[in-house]
Amino acid sequence: MTLLSALARRAEIPVFAVIGTRGLGLAESLRRRPGLRLVDSPRHARVLLVAGAVDGAQKQALERLHAQLPAPRGTVWWQAEPLFARGEVVTGDDPMPAIRAAASADDPDQRPDVPPHPWQGIGPHGHGGRGMMGGNPYGRPMAMTADDIRDGLALDAYSARFGPFLPMLPPGLALDLTLQGDVIVSADVASAPFEQGPQGDAPDLCAARMLRLMGIGPIAARARGALLALPQGSGMRRRLAAWLRGEQVSETPDPLPAALPGLEWAEAVLWLASFPPSRLRAACMERHAA
Amino acid sequence: MIVATLALLLALPPLIWAAAMFDRIGTGRGAIVMGPIRNGAALMLRPNTETEAPDRLNRLLAPGWYLALALVGLSVVPLAPGIVATDLSTGLVLWGACEALTVVVVFLHGWSPNAPLPLIGAYRYVAIGLPAMLLSMFVLIGAALPAESLSVVEVVEAQRGLWNVVRQPLGLPLFMALGLAITLRGPFDYADGAELAGGTSAEESGPALALWQFARASMLVAFSAMAAAAFLGGHLGPVLPGPVWLLLKTLAVMAATVAAGRFFARMPPARMLTFLWVVLLPLSFVSLALVGVEVLE
Repeated sequence: MTLLSALARRAEIPVFAVIGTRGLGLAESLRRRPGLRLVDSPRHARVLLVAGAVDGAQKQALERLHAQLPAPRGTVWWQAEPLFARGEVVTGDDPMPAIRAAASADDPDQRPDVPPHPWQGIGPHGHGGRGMMGGNPYGRPMAMTADDIRDGLALDAYSARFGPFLPMLPPGLALDLTLQGDVIVSADVASAPFEQGPQGDAPDLCAARMLRLMGIGPIAARARGALLALPQGSGMRRRLAAWLRGEQVSETPDPLPAALPGLEWAEAVLWLASFPPSRLRAACMERHAA
Repeated sequence: MIVATLALLLALPPLIWAAAMFDRIGTGRGAIVMGPIRNGAALMLRPNTETEAPDRLNRLLAPGWYLALALVGLSVVPLAPGIVATDLSTGLVLWGACEALTVVVVFLHGWSPNAPLPLIGAYRYVAIGLPAMLLSMFVLIGAALPAESLSVVEVVEAQRGLWNVVRQPLGLPLFMALGLAITLRGPFDYADGAELAGGTSAEESGPALALWQFARASMLVAFSAMAAAAFLGGHLGPVLPGPVWLLLKTLAVMAATVAAGRFFARMPPARMLTFLWVVLLPLSFVSLALVGVEVLE
């Protein structure tokens, strides 16, 4: 045990970054910092880093995310107003000392460990669905068969909210999706992506985000194979090529509820990442205003 | 047989360490040698996570099964003339079974936490895994044809004159596609990719995650040793003793697999499925047909 702890003391700190308003550049600057490692899942993290201000409307989502970090866990608010009384606030440019301190902190639970909704007790098995399927026990939607939008086969449709802090989606974007397997059959925007400012649209940053979803780095992308991996006809190749050349992209996406259905998860995620955050935000805000 | 088993078990941990080091090279993170050990130790000290209504038994067993498949697959590779842990006349079939069961194990790993992103990873992996396994079967039959045997020992012996990598140039690159698929890497990582926040591993933490990563690295070692035996003449080579040759070739295939995983971009799964069935599988038929013609002559 002592050998393990001695080795573990000098390990990289796994950090899950929640990206708030103007936090994209902040989080990206940490990617190559020695001593920490940004992870894709809160389950893999020791420290929750909130980079940039998070809207008060997302407080509950953030509290739930905090609960998903296995205890003991620590929290750091970097250039962000704390939404709950856990962890340390950093206003400067270097969150490293605070992250190191958080790596030995032990935040108490922020939310009680109970289901978010009561058991509903409707229907023959009490889960509110038909037969053994469907329904909304404890507020968790269960899959229920519905016709596939592509070939009409009756497959399980699963509805849930994805976001606002999922690392593969633009930060702040929350989508109410219905999925059949990994095909999106309906989509609605629950909240628009956070404002990222002009540095959020920087070509190298946008390209890096997209390439990360494809499992490669910017050096491999110079060989142009990355472009061939993208589907044709969706404009993704054009936009990634422009970013790789160092050019700004100013295309605005179609409204998401019309554009996403029919896409597979991986395709949809790449498509969303192929627009600059400011244009995506504009497209989502227009719809909210309408 | 006992000597070979002991040698494999002793060689595996350093090779897994080497695999983890290869994964760090070029990432700009430093601590190439000690980094994996330190991070592994830190992970061992973290708690496992509970999910809601998981399939507990399968969740517990999946990483262990994955490791077991890597070990069984590795056991058919001869270390030197006459030294092999599992001396089967159908060694290639046993290896093929390990490949196929990997799909089942990765599926169980994604299924068991009862969460959406791991489950999507699990289903996608099955869809991609099937054609990838088929491909490797054709390629391995190609390697077995000149030896007129399914025994890996015979396949190595048949390469005394000429290595299969020269005789069947398509074989090794196509087999590498399988290697990327069963080690959940780069262009074939449809189970644990970044677009699913870690996919089948998204809900894992602590020792369970550490064991999964250990098993994944073991599978890379097993695949590399198998590729070295089937295409690069295994333990054959001048001057140096057989096991050293096998070790060097295994390390070379490991490095090449890691590099290929970093170089090729991951396509959306539908596109990869088309690419596998329409391009790579026919290529493996062509490779097999060419080997057949060569053997007939």
